[in-house]
Amino acid sequence: MVVKRRTAIIAAMSIAATIALILWKPTVLIYGLQAAGLYAAVAIPMGLVLGIVHIVNLSHGEFMMVAAYAAYSACKALGMDPLLAIIPTAIVTAIFGWVIFQLTIRRALKGPELNQLILTFGLAIAFTQTINLIFTSQTYKIPLDYVSASMDIGDITFGTWSFVFVAVAIVYTYGLQFFLTKTTTGKAALAVGQNPRGAAIVGIDVYRTYGLVFALAMALVGAMGALFLTKSAIFPGVGTPFTMKSFCLIAMAGVGNIPGILGASVLLGVAENFLRAFRPTRDWAEIVFFVLIIVVIVGRSLKGRKS
Amino acid sequence: MNRNVSRIFAALFGILAIALPLFAGDYPLQVARNIMLYMALAITWDMLLRSGQISFGIAGLFGVGAYAAILGVIRAGMPAWFSIIFAAIFSGVVAFAIGFLILRLRAMYFSIVTLALGEIFRIIIHNLHDFTGGPEGVVMQQGVIFGGSAGKLYWLTLAGLAVAIAASYWFEKSKIHFALTAIRNNEISAKSSGVNIFRWLLLAFVVTSAIQGLLGGIFVQSYGFATPDTVFSADFTLLPLAMALLGGVYSTRGPIFGAILLGLVSEWLKLKIPYGHLVVYGIIIIIVILFMPQGLKQLVRQPANKTDRRSA
Amino acid sequence: MSKLKTENLTRRFLGLVAVNNVSFSMEEGEILGIIGPNGAGKTTFINLISGIIMPSEGLIEYKGQDITYIPAHERARMGIARTYQLIHPLENLTLIENVMVGSIFAKGNGLKEARRRAEALCQELGLTGLDRDTSRLTILEIKKMEIARALANEPEVLFLDEVMAGLNADETKDIIAMVQKIAQERHLAVGVVEHVMGVIRELTHRVIVLEAGELIAEGKYEDVSKNPRVIEAYLGGGAA
Repeated sequence: MVVKRRTAIIAAMSIAATIALILWKPTVLIYGLQAAGLYAAVAIPMGLVLGIVHIVNLSHGEFMMVAAYAAYSACKALGMDPLLAIIPTAIVTAIFGWVIFQLTIRRALKGPELNQLILTFGLAIAFTQTINLIFTSQTYKIPLDYVSASMDIGDITFGTWSFVFVAVAIVYTYGLQFFLTKTTTGKAALAVGQNPRGAAIVGIDVYRTYGLVFALAMALVGAMGALFLTKSAIFPGVGTPFTMKSFCLIAMAGVGNIPGILGASVLLGVAENFLRAFRPTRDWAEIVFFVLIIVVIVGRSLKGRKS
Repeated sequence: MNRNVSRIFAALFGILAIALPLFAGDYPLQVARNIMLYMALAITWDMLLRSGQISFGIAGLFGVGAYAAILGVIRAGMPAWFSIIFAAIFSGVVAFAIGFLILRLRAMYFSIVTLALGEIFRIIIHNLHDFTGGPEGVVMQQGVIFGGSAGKLYWLTLAGLAVAIAASYWFEKSKIHFALTAIRNNEISAKSSGVNIFRWLLLAFVVTSAIQGLLGGIFVQSYGFATPDTVFSADFTLLPLAMALLGGVYSTRGPIFGAILLGLVSEWLKLKIPYGHLVVYGIIIIIVILFMPQGLKQLVRQPANKTDRRSA
Repeated sequence: MSKLKTENLTRRFLGLVAVNNVSFSMEEGEILGIIGPNGAGKTTFINLISGIIMPSEGLIEYKGQDITYIPAHERARMGIARTYQLIHPLENLTLIENVMVGSIFAKGNGLKEARRRAEALCQELGLTGLDRDTSRLTILEIKKMEIARALANEPEVLFLDEVMAGLNADETKDIIAMVQKIAQERHLAVGVVEHVMGVIRELTHRVIVLEAGELIAEGKYEDVSKNPRVIEAYLGGGAA
């Protein structure tokens, strides 16, 4: 009963907040949603890995960064549009992810959880610094016309290209939902995630499944890397914040709750852009994620203690 | 016999370390200072690790100490030497306060939250323009402590390192060793032996954070300026971690050896490859975790050692 | 006055009742068997008494004092000690250091005093080679070390959770004699969880029987083992 009432209050408050925002600062909502799409599309693959392989991949954002550089190199060499590079980048990143999984992460799965954390932290450093070694710390960008597409509604003007991230996030969410509940491979993966020992007993190859899921997640991240390149300049550290932010979103949604990541992203994207909309608070937008991650994790642990 | 030999070695090494400025030039002293700083941070990271808690927040508390020291001088007119002590106290107090919240967390949650806290500290410093100088940072008008004398700066860093080593030995030789080891192995059975887990974790967290703050103070006094990007640099988390892992964790000696080895190698690499020499650290972390979980200790250990399992 | 007693002790996990309304008491010098089929809630019961988990309802009294919500480490200091079914020797600590832990933290002894007492304890239990790493100990030695660790708390109440598991007949006899001697000399109240009924018969003065979290019988082993409800519980549970 109490829970229901609380949900209703939260729903009412968020509807009221949305209406207030539309009337008062519509751009906050628009840019908030666009940011949410980007965050969610990057976080969802990490949620998949955490939910099924049960590792916190601290090199998650770096995989996207590496994919973006791969896409950039291909586009430069072939004079190709990054949009055309999405599928090839996804495939290459998936293979790269699978190889990295087999060579390193797989070996650490049996060890203590903390070893996995340190290992993926080491991977993150290795990726960032290898890119630094090859490309130096200079930023690279591919100028594209369609990215600056904009739209006018009434007296406000806003960029529309970034809505593509929202579309991707929605496709990822429902695509994965379909994959995990309707396909044989997906069902097996879900079973492995919920009970690896039980899955092994019924004849599922657990480590092969882990490898596949990891590769799939990296394919999704790789596609995002190429797409990210259309919009943003890239540099070696560009992926790093996404690791933290993705983990934050997953922690908010709860491990294994992929649709929940969408909701958490909207909350954070809008909150960030809300702070960004006002001069005095503009610089504090960046802190929202980190404060929320602590509030969420500490709040969870206190709640877990009581029950 | 063996113990005496290693004691003699340690004593000789100590004398050498103290006497270095008498015969070494400015460049070797500068390198030695860097290595000692990272070594001390590596030791403090390991000290907390002995309880099973992995912190990714070394840079955070180091940076807090650095800013406490420099702002203490600039805003409160503290003498340089006192600002270093103030840095230690300030970081210790900050750790004490946040410890109440975050020491209830375990495993990845603790690690991620320490990482996030480091970012929060950096952003706060970055944004409080009027007080902290914002992204451009602050410079001390009176310049570097000791007028920049290379020898004295070296001894100052050595003193910071000595504090870290002394604290680490204290952790190893006292009740704290039993408390932290019991907690790391199994919290439930530790409780049944009367160990107040939270209290000992808080002690370890506050002590290590205070030393990290102290080192931040020493760092900032040695260079005379601070910016968010320099003192909160991820290097201050990454390098100590790699050094401790390489040398072998849960000991004082491990981080010391790891820091000497990795410090010298990276100094050499820095000259060879200006961009991306840090890749070595990433690769070392990966190799150590996968192939030599006990670090270099594994290689140099004598066969008759009591903690060696396969031999004898 | 009883050393230890519980009243209506209950613990639920997500709607599942692991321990249901258990009231019992233990006297000084008594060795009490705690038996029941697998999953009857025996270990949960000990976890509640030692403070590893907190009860949903009910009362725990130790020497007349309400300790229901006192944290585990403080109960250890007050004199409630236990061993664990799954043994976890502390790696990186030697045998003697393992035993010292209880003395250091539960009794607040300095390292030297703790070592002296731990040595005496090990000698009493017949443990030698005190500076060995725990990975080099035999199962019997580990079991003895676990008991020594618990005794280092200098407890008045001691719970042994399946301490005989994995031992052969001779070793089991050895431990039975040891527990009896310890209990008598120190006037301990000892609670023993055990699956092997022979051990219970020989070792205990009295038993309580748990089934699905409820206390279904209490008394001398000889009487309880004839109780139709107990027989039913064991046969129905399919274990013994």
